[in-house]
Amino acid sequence: MIRRRDENRGPWYLLTGLVLGLAVGLLISWVLSPVKYVDTAPFSLRGDYKDVYRGLIAAAYQADGDLGRARSRLALLGDADPARALVDQAQESMVDGKAGEEARSLAGLAAAMGGNPNQIAALRLSPSPATPTPAVLTPTLVPSSPTLSPTVTPGPTLTATVSTADALLSATPRPSATRAPTDTPQPSRTPTLTPGPPFVVADQKKLCDPSLNVSILQVQVNDAAGKPVPGVQVIVTWNGGQDTFFTGLKPDVNPGFADFTMTVGTVYTLRLADGGEPINDLTAPLCAGSNRPGGWLVTFKQP
Amino acid sequence: MSRRLLGFALAILVGLAAGLVYGWVINPVKYVDTTPDTLRADYKTDYVLMVAEIYRASPDLDQAARRLALLGSQSPAELAREAALAARAGDFPQTDQDALDVLSRAFQTWTPVARGATPQKAGTP
Repeated sequence: MIRRRDENRGPWYLLTGLVLGLAVGLLISWVLSPVKYVDTAPFSLRGDYKDVYRGLIAAAYQADGDLGRARSRLALLGDADPARALVDQAQESMVDGKAGEEARSLAGLAAAMGGNPNQIAALRLSPSPATPTPAVLTPTLVPSSPTLSPTVTPGPTLTATVSTADALLSATPRPSATRAPTDTPQPSRTPTLTPGPPFVVADQKKLCDPSLNVSILQVQVNDAAGKPVPGVQVIVTWNGGQDTFFTGLKPDVNPGFADFTMTVGTVYTLRLADGGEPINDLTAPLCAGSNRPGGWLVTFKQP
Repeated sequence: MSRRLLGFALAILVGLAAGLVYGWVINPVKYVDTTPDTLRADYKTDYVLMVAEIYRASPDLDQAARRLALLGSQSPAELAREAALAARAGDFPQTDQDALDVLSRAFQTWTPVARGATPQKAGTP
């Protein structure tokens, strides 16, 4: 009688055991003893820690000027476009009011990385809400003033000891990226802003480019030796608005270059955040013989 | 009855094994938002090396300590010393070893002070 009743139950007991075992197995593997990642790599860091790491890389680059090492370190973070990530973070630093050393070093490294200039240009610092027009950059406009020394020093060819693929795809990424071998060529260091006297206006020139229908304010910042200086914060203000940006975000022109689209009829004041004399009452000029708006090329220089 | 019991036990074992394989191998817990203190030792060494490089150019022990604080509860002196040892063991370039040694020595006599007080700095390179 009892046997018959057990036989009537069928194989359900097997399924019950299976489900019970599965539940216990998942409890152990997900809760009681989950896989522990104690030896993680930088690319698995949380976003804010990645920002800290990136800022540290930029500051270290500013300190030692080793671009190859900076590239290798950035590769460990797994950013699809490291230069863009640097510019993004520089922008965020500006928004957060941390527009000091960090933003400067980030912009300086971005400029040295020589990322896609159009991409970097599109990521210019966001203007304030009262901006009359969005700042549009025109990478085709190359200053022709002899004071600009528009030769862009090509980025050094460096051998990164760890590839991005290594850092991203390998289950055990090889962290020897920073163990730069002693024969790693030292890149020619991109000049960065060094403490010194405030910049002064060395030249202000009206530009009329018939191919342009917009008025561009071009800014060039050079050091005392005439070398372009990246990472200099430029501030443009007008009635009810302000825009802030850095030199060096258009490395295709030169590391000390920045530009801004002016609105015809608006009066601007241009100055550098590091002090020095401002230029007041800047307006979009009209080119002679046409109604086309012209632009300005303002060159700052350390005395 | 005993055969039934055996089948039940076997089913539990199979389910347990399946659960473990699924949880540990097929779909393990993923840590995508890790913190710097979980970094592998060599990455930590590189992190400390970056701090040392910055310190070499701009000697600010308080700032260096703040940066190292992200690496966990160890003191900055311990972190710097361990990184210096790791760099030596890992045949880092001599300049890197020197930078880490300088930072390590500087932290040996550094005392964290309460906010607002004047920090004590020592061992500048």
